[in-house]
Amino acid sequence: MLECRNIKKHYGGVVALNGVSWKLLPGEVHALCGENGAGKSTLARILCGITVPDSGDISLEGRPVTWLGPQEARGAGIGIILQELDLFANLSVAENLAIGNARLEASGWISPAALHDAARPLLHDVGLDVDPALPLDHLSVSQWQLVAIARVLGLDAKIIFMDEPTSALTDDAVERLFGLIRRLKERGVAIVYVSHKMNEIFRICDRVSVMRDGEMIATETCANTSIDQVIRQMVGREVTMTRGQRTSELKLPLLKIESLSTRKLRDVSFTLNKGEILGVAGLVASGRSELGRALFGTSPVTAGSMQLENRPYRPATPHDAVASGVALVPEDRQKEGLVSGMSIRQNTTLASLSRYSHGSWVSTDEEQIASKNILSRCRTKLADEELPVSSLSGGNQQKVLIGKWLLTNPKVCFFDDPTRGIDIGAKDDIYRLVAELAGEGLGVIWVSSELQELLANAHRILVFHDGRCMEILDAATTTQEEIMRLATGHRTPLS
Amino acid sequence: MTSNLWKYLKHHGQPFIGLVLILILGTLLSPHATDGTIVFLSSGNLSDVLLQQTEIGIIALAMTFVIIGAGIDLSVGSVLALSTCIGALMLTTWNQPIIVAIGAALLAGALVGALNGFIITRIRLQPFVMTLAAMIGVRGFTKWMTGNVNVDLAFGDSPSGRFAELFSSKPFAIALWVLLAVVAHLILTRTVYGRYLRAIGENEKAAAYTGLPVRKVRLAAYIGCGLMAALAGLIHAARSHQGNPNDGVGYELDAIAAVVIGGTALAGGRGSIIGTVIGTLVLGLLTNVLRLHMVDSNLELMIKAVIIIAAVWLQRRGSGLHGEL
Repeated sequence: MLECRNIKKHYGGVVALNGVSWKLLPGEVHALCGENGAGKSTLARILCGITVPDSGDISLEGRPVTWLGPQEARGAGIGIILQELDLFANLSVAENLAIGNARLEASGWISPAALHDAARPLLHDVGLDVDPALPLDHLSVSQWQLVAIARVLGLDAKIIFMDEPTSALTDDAVERLFGLIRRLKERGVAIVYVSHKMNEIFRICDRVSVMRDGEMIATETCANTSIDQVIRQMVGREVTMTRGQRTSELKLPLLKIESLSTRKLRDVSFTLNKGEILGVAGLVASGRSELGRALFGTSPVTAGSMQLENRPYRPATPHDAVASGVALVPEDRQKEGLVSGMSIRQNTTLASLSRYSHGSWVSTDEEQIASKNILSRCRTKLADEELPVSSLSGGNQQKVLIGKWLLTNPKVCFFDDPTRGIDIGAKDDIYRLVAELAGEGLGVIWVSSELQELLANAHRILVFHDGRCMEILDAATTTQEEIMRLATGHRTPLS
Repeated sequence: MTSNLWKYLKHHGQPFIGLVLILILGTLLSPHATDGTIVFLSSGNLSDVLLQQTEIGIIALAMTFVIIGAGIDLSVGSVLALSTCIGALMLTTWNQPIIVAIGAALLAGALVGALNGFIITRIRLQPFVMTLAAMIGVRGFTKWMTGNVNVDLAFGDSPSGRFAELFSSKPFAIALWVLLAVVAHLILTRTVYGRYLRAIGENEKAAAYTGLPVRKVRLAAYIGCGLMAALAGLIHAARSHQGNPNDGVGYELDAIAAVVIGGTALAGGRGSIIGTVIGTLVLGLLTNVLRLHMVDSNLELMIKAVIIIAAVWLQRRGSGLHGEL
């Protein structure tokens, strides 16, 4: 139905797609999977006309096509649900559903009644029960995702690309989406399901294509392959998570939190020892990131107390926190971490610039020495520190970000999901680095979405649910299942 | 219907509060005429305020579009002077009929807008920089064209006399403003163009991914802004009975102030024509109240500054956007 041959795409010096050929059959649900950076999103964007390939051919139902923009691909019946949700917060639900829809916008005039009539069946299809006149501002992320799906349904597309459609969905919304996919399939719509969630792929898809490093590795029917095999193909080698990179901690209390509450945290208490790696598990919005904000002075503390090295600690701003020796490596590298227009060196020294300056003058020599040392310690792979930080891969950007905070000489460092979306090699480097730092006495609080990672690296694990710390578990004896039960709000009896 | 109105006021009501406050203040503080009537509320006085605000008001309508599209246009004051002078020259020195003079002035404004829009959307110069350059360049051109001399309009039954009489008449100018405001409101709320503009101002990347004609929509907003500034220039020529190449300085800032007081976000995406009209009225009524009391015009500027800050602060409070780091 849709076919591409030898698609190539470069971004600067980085090869995103290196000669990819691929075929979509009519009416199938086809999974496109691979690690972050494997090229699956780039391929989807090229086939939908958002990104223009450097070279290669695309054909639709046997006829060669060249998309000049997403509007053309859409006109030919290809819709996409993008990962970063291309919706408009200032417009109403109905307006978001209709925007760019040639049929509803033909006259140039908009009738709210017609928009709402067009919106209702779409919202019903995705199981979203909201007033179509409501501005998108008032909806949750999960509801945004459903609106994005409904919008593509409104196009009457023959082929729908879904890029990580369940990343923001609740469990029952995922079930409804799967039901919807089955119904679309019955109507003859072909669906490309871009994801790396194996369970979902094997539940809903007919065939699965695996990509790695910009190349198409394999396409199989789901019946002929297995989760293990797909993972092997994705990674290119056997994955083993080793335990025991932990150094033994010192039993010296460093940070004491008692009954801490903020707008989103309730009554959290724990003690972080010197040299300890304290893992934090929990679902998104469980309060795990909020803990970092409270520690860093960006979320006002409403009750409770914090003590840093036996002295009361109550930062009003991040500036206070840094001065007291607390660092926070934020979750969102792009928005909260790095200044993309600045060079690698300038990013690295931004939080500690006063150390290399005399009066208002920055001593470039001292700055260069400091950034060089810390970047090599973080095992950052780079050609030139003067290049913009955006020229680095995600993993190396993350290392620059960690280096930036280590230069402030912290006593406590809060890592908010530091390995999210980076490749396995960089992950491994970060595991080693954190273990090393803890060995030197740094107190580490480590939020992670990957439970295996916490089990392998942390000493103890705090489990958050709904703003509360449910339990503090010993990482050596607990299991993923126990953590997951607590994180979803089920208390297990203490054994 | 009442519930709809209430809903509207709840979400977009902040600018109205300012308007009502100014009206109450004006009524209370107003001097009384010899027969005991309140001068501020007299129809003569209020329609004077409207007439005084038509130029800024018309520019502010188009400025609302540009700002909702996440842009800015600093060149409107210079475009107003350009149009004023072209109109005056056409009618007097160059002996053209009224309709040609109007057409030429409007065309000149639209061309400046098109140049702004073209360079901003194609060469991707920042709107602030491009329109700042246009503001300087167009002012220079206007002065050069007129030899930096005022072009006086004639009186009586000459083309320029008839033109001045029409464009400076209260009913004509005010009706024009009201009509344009209604049209602008409908375009912004009820047309595909208006919705595309809001979408682009809110999230340009998503708009591009959606396949919206981002450049054309932006370009049209700047052309509209040049056109409206030129129209305001024609009214200005008629009211001042001359083409003065040095007029219109600072008009861009008054227009932006009216838009901002009306609750339009400078970051783009959100705003309304109703708000802008109210913002324009608030500024006009404030000046009027203070002038009726013979308040020093320097003090007037300081009070305006406070009003702008207070208006924007009130709206932020209303929208709950404060307090987040």
